[in-house]
Amino acid sequence: MQATVATPTSSALSRFSISTQDKSSTAGQTSSTGPQPSRPSIIPPRSKSKGWSTGASGGRMRRIIAEDPEWSLAIVPLLTELCIQHIVKNFQNNPILKQLLPEHKQKVLDHLSPDLPLAVTANLIDDESYWRRCCTQRWPVCHVAKHGGSWKRMFFERHLENLLKHFIPSTTDPALILDLLPLCRNYVRRLRVDQFLPPMKLPPRPRSGELSDSGSEAEVEEPATDHYQLEDLVAGLSHLEELDLVYGVKDCGMNFEWNLFLFTYRDCHSLAATIKACHTLKIFRLTRSKVDDDKARILIRSLLDHPALEELDLSHNLVGDRGARAAAKLLSHSRLRVLNLANNQVRALGAQSLAHALAHNTNLISLNLRLNCIEDEGGQALAHALQTNRCLTTLHLGGNELSEPTATLLSQVLAVNTTLTSINLSCNHIGLDGGKQLLEGMSDNRTLLEFDLRLSDVAQESEYLIGQALCANREAARQRAPNPSCFMSPITAKGPENPAG
Amino acid sequence: MEVPQKTKNRTTLQPSNCTTKHLSTGYRCAVSKGHMHPHVYSSTINNSQSMERAQIFSTVSHHREALGEYLDGKKESEEDQSKSYKQKEESRLKLAKLLLCGTELVTNIQVAADIREIHRRVEEGEIRRQRLEKLENEVKTSQDKFDEITMKWEEGKRKRIPQDLWDMLNTQQVHCAGLIEDKNKLIGELQQELKTKDDQYVKDLKKQSDDICLLLERMEEQVKNVMKTFRQELSSIEKAFEVERRELLTSNKKKWERALQAHNAKELEYLLSRIKKVEDYEKQLNKQRVWDCEEYNTIKIKLEQDVQILEQQLQQMKATYQLNQEKLEYNFQVLKKRDEESVVIKSQQKRKISRLHDILNNLRSKYTKQIRQFQEENQSLTSDYIRLVTQFKELQKAMRHFALLDDKRFREIWLMNEEEAKDLISKAFDVDRIIHTQHLGLPWTAPDFWFLRNVGPISQQQQRSATQILEEVLIQTEEEGTEEATSEAESYLDLPKQVSMKTTRKILMLLCDESGFLIESKLLSLLRPLEKSECYLLKLDAIFSALGIESEDDLYKLVNFFLKYRVHHSPSSQVIHPGSFLQISPWNLSLPQEQTSLMSALDPGEQTDLERQKEESLVGGEPEEKEVPPSPTLIHPNDVLKILEAFVMGLRKPRDPPAPVKVVKYVRDTSKDSAYWEAMATVIPYATQNLWDALYTALEKYHFVLTQRAKLLIENNSLEKQNTELQMLLQQYLDSKINSELHVPPTQVLRAPTK
Repeated sequence: MQATVATPTSSALSRFSISTQDKSSTAGQTSSTGPQPSRPSIIPPRSKSKGWSTGASGGRMRRIIAEDPEWSLAIVPLLTELCIQHIVKNFQNNPILKQLLPEHKQKVLDHLSPDLPLAVTANLIDDESYWRRCCTQRWPVCHVAKHGGSWKRMFFERHLENLLKHFIPSTTDPALILDLLPLCRNYVRRLRVDQFLPPMKLPPRPRSGELSDSGSEAEVEEPATDHYQLEDLVAGLSHLEELDLVYGVKDCGMNFEWNLFLFTYRDCHSLAATIKACHTLKIFRLTRSKVDDDKARILIRSLLDHPALEELDLSHNLVGDRGARAAAKLLSHSRLRVLNLANNQVRALGAQSLAHALAHNTNLISLNLRLNCIEDEGGQALAHALQTNRCLTTLHLGGNELSEPTATLLSQVLAVNTTLTSINLSCNHIGLDGGKQLLEGMSDNRTLLEFDLRLSDVAQESEYLIGQALCANREAARQRAPNPSCFMSPITAKGPENPAG
Repeated sequence: MEVPQKTKNRTTLQPSNCTTKHLSTGYRCAVSKGHMHPHVYSSTINNSQSMERAQIFSTVSHHREALGEYLDGKKESEEDQSKSYKQKEESRLKLAKLLLCGTELVTNIQVAADIREIHRRVEEGEIRRQRLEKLENEVKTSQDKFDEITMKWEEGKRKRIPQDLWDMLNTQQVHCAGLIEDKNKLIGELQQELKTKDDQYVKDLKKQSDDICLLLERMEEQVKNVMKTFRQELSSIEKAFEVERRELLTSNKKKWERALQAHNAKELEYLLSRIKKVEDYEKQLNKQRVWDCEEYNTIKIKLEQDVQILEQQLQQMKATYQLNQEKLEYNFQVLKKRDEESVVIKSQQKRKISRLHDILNNLRSKYTKQIRQFQEENQSLTSDYIRLVTQFKELQKAMRHFALLDDKRFREIWLMNEEEAKDLISKAFDVDRIIHTQHLGLPWTAPDFWFLRNVGPISQQQQRSATQILEEVLIQTEEEGTEEATSEAESYLDLPKQVSMKTTRKILMLLCDESGFLIESKLLSLLRPLEKSECYLLKLDAIFSALGIESEDDLYKLVNFFLKYRVHHSPSSQVIHPGSFLQISPWNLSLPQEQTSLMSALDPGEQTDLERQKEESLVGGEPEEKEVPPSPTLIHPNDVLKILEAFVMGLRKPRDPPAPVKVVKYVRDTSKDSAYWEAMATVIPYATQNLWDALYTALEKYHFVLTQRAKLLIENNSLEKQNTELQMLLQQYLDSKINSELHVPPTQVLRAPTK
């Protein structure tokens, strides 16, 4: 209950604190009930130093002493204890783990240092608690749920991401990453790299300001700004499912240079080959990387008939109509379930081709065209497509210069379609009449749960009534699926979508 | 309880609205909308809350009847539900709304940023268009100016006066400077724009960080709010539950009390009725007791009387009992004595039995001993027997071998003797012929005797019985397996050559298997324990006796019949009547052999003749038959009976007088030998011998005469010689000189008588 004090951004951390507190509180109880008064005076010298430090900082000394489960009155430790200590001490040179009995194994794992070289531990230790210690020691914030609940996977993924993030081509030794490959190949399922550094003599970090200025000026003359080629790495990772890349530099601040954000054709070709070769890939994201039509076409061509791909995210790029047409082709040549083209330059033509593909598609469930400029022509085409489509559940058309004609068509769609659950038309020019027509369409719909009409010139009354209808639909959906966590769904749905304002 | 919470909601929402306001003021274009919309949202939220207070559902119902109905129905049902449920639903709805509002509030920032972006884009597009237009205009105007200047260069070239040229150059310079200035101005403007854009970028960055801060703030606020409201709702739900529980408790208590009172009243009622009943029962019991006493007395009197009677009876019974006891004791004594006697007898019997048992055992052991002895004896005897049998067989074999050898030797000796005899005979015949022709001058005809043509020992083809042959066949075929090479030569000696042993054997086997019905059942039962070959032999014997086959010929006939049947039937496959077949088949066979018998064979009347001929032909046709290798496997077992029938039909006719069974053994018939040899000896008859004797004496006489004559001749010759010698001497004398000296020579004298 004290976790409420913690900041919401670090909920995982707060969860930790709760768990440790729980543990310590129970231990405290045992200590208080324990009859030995001499206990705190006899402190074994091998008790955890970490526990001590935290205890000292927290000012809860007594509980932590009692927490030590290995404490005993016997002055001479058992031979097994000694052996285990020795194993722990020499683990780097002579890793003995598999041969031990389960309880001894657990003890060894509890005492192993998280700083041991990965070459020793990676394929030997599967124990989650060890990797948990490794993670918590290295990073203050750990969302293990984002890594499939596995601490080991999280450790390797973040470790690899970290290496990739700070890789400087032609400066850093590529063996640094490739050496890690045999160790982490079985555990890495997701790669989320939000920074690729361009090749430079000097690090482009914003912290070293003047140096980077001079470096960037020198860099202007350098024509080759290719980034790290992922081919070898991805080919080695046999379980990779998600690839989330941003070809850009983070936190450049006032040292902004266009060159920092160059996604070259060579990068593009190598990435295309990489994702084509990776048959296990399910989610591919390439955002904020200046992907224009040609590059998008190169990438999408390599993704045609991909066996596993389910989600494609090219948001915040420069994809135009031709890129959208390629994406439409991909829709009919793959099992894509989620397509995100938010904040691109798709216009009416691109939207029409997408609509054409959507009309007969049976896989796609989510389409995001936020902040494009498809206008009424594209919107109408999409609405026509939705009259035949029986699969799409989420549609985001926010900020697309749509107006009343689209709204009329969409209202007809709302009356017919029974699969759509979420529509977003915010930041358009729907107008008062359009709002009324949408309201009419909503009166016949029983499935839509979310309908965003903010900042789209709709009359307050109709917006309010639409909100009521949505409420009723939500109630009905809740009745249909009696799940207590149902009314929590809005949070989880909107949670990951970070505001990009 | 609800009111303060809602006011709190409002208070938490309002500051966030303020922040949005503050935020939106930063942007020039979005000012109006940014001001308006957040207001709108707050008002809608407030509105919704007020409306909720004023029972929203009723007001909305005319817009959405279905929904209203649904919710009304739900409400009605809710009334039935408990308070806690109501509270739960209410707080759930409230919380859902709160969450929705919160997320809306948070996402408002995103939406605001989106719309700003859109406006920026629109504006940017406009500005870019203007800029491009401007640049184009600039390009056009500068191009015009440049064209003008270049035109003037042409003009200047034509100028001849330096003054003019200088003026023109000056103006040109001014024009160029103007053009460059224009360009520079444009560049400056663009750079200015760039700078403002840079400033804008810085501003945007700041704003972005502000936005993010705001977002974080809102999120935190949202989390706090949600947490708080959740807790409040939880507590209110708990309270509602408690209240409900309390109500439930009180109502239950009341119910309980009521029920208890009712129960007490009922208890009392039951008690009263019970007391009444108890009194009734007591009265009834008393009555019953009195009545029972009276009845008891009467019964007692009656029973006492009964007892007296019974005692009398008892006395009587005791007396009789005494009597019976004495009787029984006497009987018991008698029986005891008898028992003793019987025990004695029993022991005697037992002893006897044991003795007899001993004897029996002795006898048994003896018996077993004897059995063993006899068995041993039997075994030794059987082994002896077997040995003897084998010996006998060997002996037989040896005997057969020796017999054959003897035969051979006999034959050789015979032949030798015969040759000698024949030589002698021929010599005799020669002598006879010479005598006849030369001495007697009679024509000589060579006597034609049967024995002269005979070569080898006289052996009549004796009719062996069928069984013997069978035995031979079977034994030889058996032996063949063991000693093939040795026996082959002899085995074919006395068997017809046309049929190999194996085929014969096979046919016989087939016959035996197929015509089991001909054998008597008794015989069959007797045959069972015998060996296979013996069994076959006996069976075949029985079958042959049944069929009437006795002699060797019959047997061969049968075999040949089988083979022929196969030869004729297998290719043609037409059904030939058995009788006609029998007639035709020998004819077919004998046709190449004896042309002369053709006519007689065709005559159906001369059956016997035919039969004989057939026999001959069978014997004669042996080599031909060999050419067709008979394979009895081709004879189907089903055909066997048909063949047999045909054969029997054919056989019965010639065999009307059944030949007496000959018991012929391997004893050679020597009766004819002496006759033969005698005949050989008397090849020259007595008459001729007499003749020869007479001739002999005559010739002797003649010889005597001749010898005399020869003597005489020799005498004569010697006389002649003497004569001639004398003559010679005479001559000599005559021719001598004495003669001449003599007047009368002796020669002359001699000559004179000779003359």
